[in-house]
Amino acid sequence: MAILEKVDKLHRATAWRGDIPITSRYTAGIAGEKFFREIKDNARIMGTYCENCELIYVPAAMFCERCFAELDEWVEVDTRGTVFTYTVLFRDLDDRPLDPPAILAYVKLDGSTGGLVHYLGEIDPEEVCIGLEVEAVFKDAPEREGSILDIEYFRPVEA
Amino acid sequence: MTEKIAKFPGVYLRESDFRDKKVLFNEWNPNAQYAWDAGVAIGRYLAELKEGRLVGVQCNKCRRTVIPPRNFCEWCFRPMDDWVHLPDIGTVNTFSLCYVTWDMQYLTDPEIPAVIDIDGTSPAVGIMHKLGEVDPQAVRIGMRVQAVWKPPEEREGSILDIKYFKPLEG
Repeated sequence: MAILEKVDKLHRATAWRGDIPITSRYTAGIAGEKFFREIKDNARIMGTYCENCELIYVPAAMFCERCFAELDEWVEVDTRGTVFTYTVLFRDLDDRPLDPPAILAYVKLDGSTGGLVHYLGEIDPEEVCIGLEVEAVFKDAPEREGSILDIEYFRPVEA
Repeated sequence: MTEKIAKFPGVYLRESDFRDKKVLFNEWNPNAQYAWDAGVAIGRYLAELKEGRLVGVQCNKCRRTVIPPRNFCEWCFRPMDDWVHLPDIGTVNTFSLCYVTWDMQYLTDPEIPAVIDIDGTSPAVGIMHKLGEVDPQAVRIGMRVQAVWKPPEEREGSILDIKYFKPLEG
């Protein structure tokens, strides 16, 4: 019974190899588009204001999550804020060591109810604490391309 | 659109909007590599194709010879009994003239996919391939055809090691 062979050595296993070409494009949407354009063109962080709930959404949203009202009142928020929570990363997404380690933080922006998840820079991991006052460091205008990474990182506010 | 909705809300985007960077977007190409385990039967089939041979299997109980090879006879569920080398000659069982590619490009010269009954196999057993070197209008069911192989150095253990089947001369 020749056909009852088994593959007993791994190198004898035959496999059909291929690659599925997939390209995904993610657009920021109507509110996101305007939010990122302001960062790119004016180095400003904008939010949307809900009159009813008295909330300022950052990143800007089209609808209020609480009352579902359409939001079209745009307000500029401070590029300063406070560290709400943070974590120190010693490995990247592919499990390679990160040296120096990266610091990811959720920064609540002054004058808004929202905030941004971003990197902290110009600070040692040991010195970071919850409640730390930080400010956004923007890339130079020609280098900005309408991405959240147009903000390089947040750094401690000089006392 | 639907009966109740004349126009969906939102912004319609064209390919040119992305090309001209009118809209902000992120692009991502996921790494979607895969390896499909060919198994014993198809594994040998592909290895033999690389050598320029067709191989099938036979079931002695059902007196059936089939290609491509499989481990079990789907009639009696016994393991197949033996490997059989088969000629690269066969008969067109059915075919189609295809003027559109898989990604919807128009073709002036049609592709001709066909099911080919390989000589020496049982009825209702065929392999799918393309026909070539033939006037599309001259293709007929029952036509005798032979495989045209790639040169040995270009073969890679794929069904495409056969370029196409062409009408048998004479």
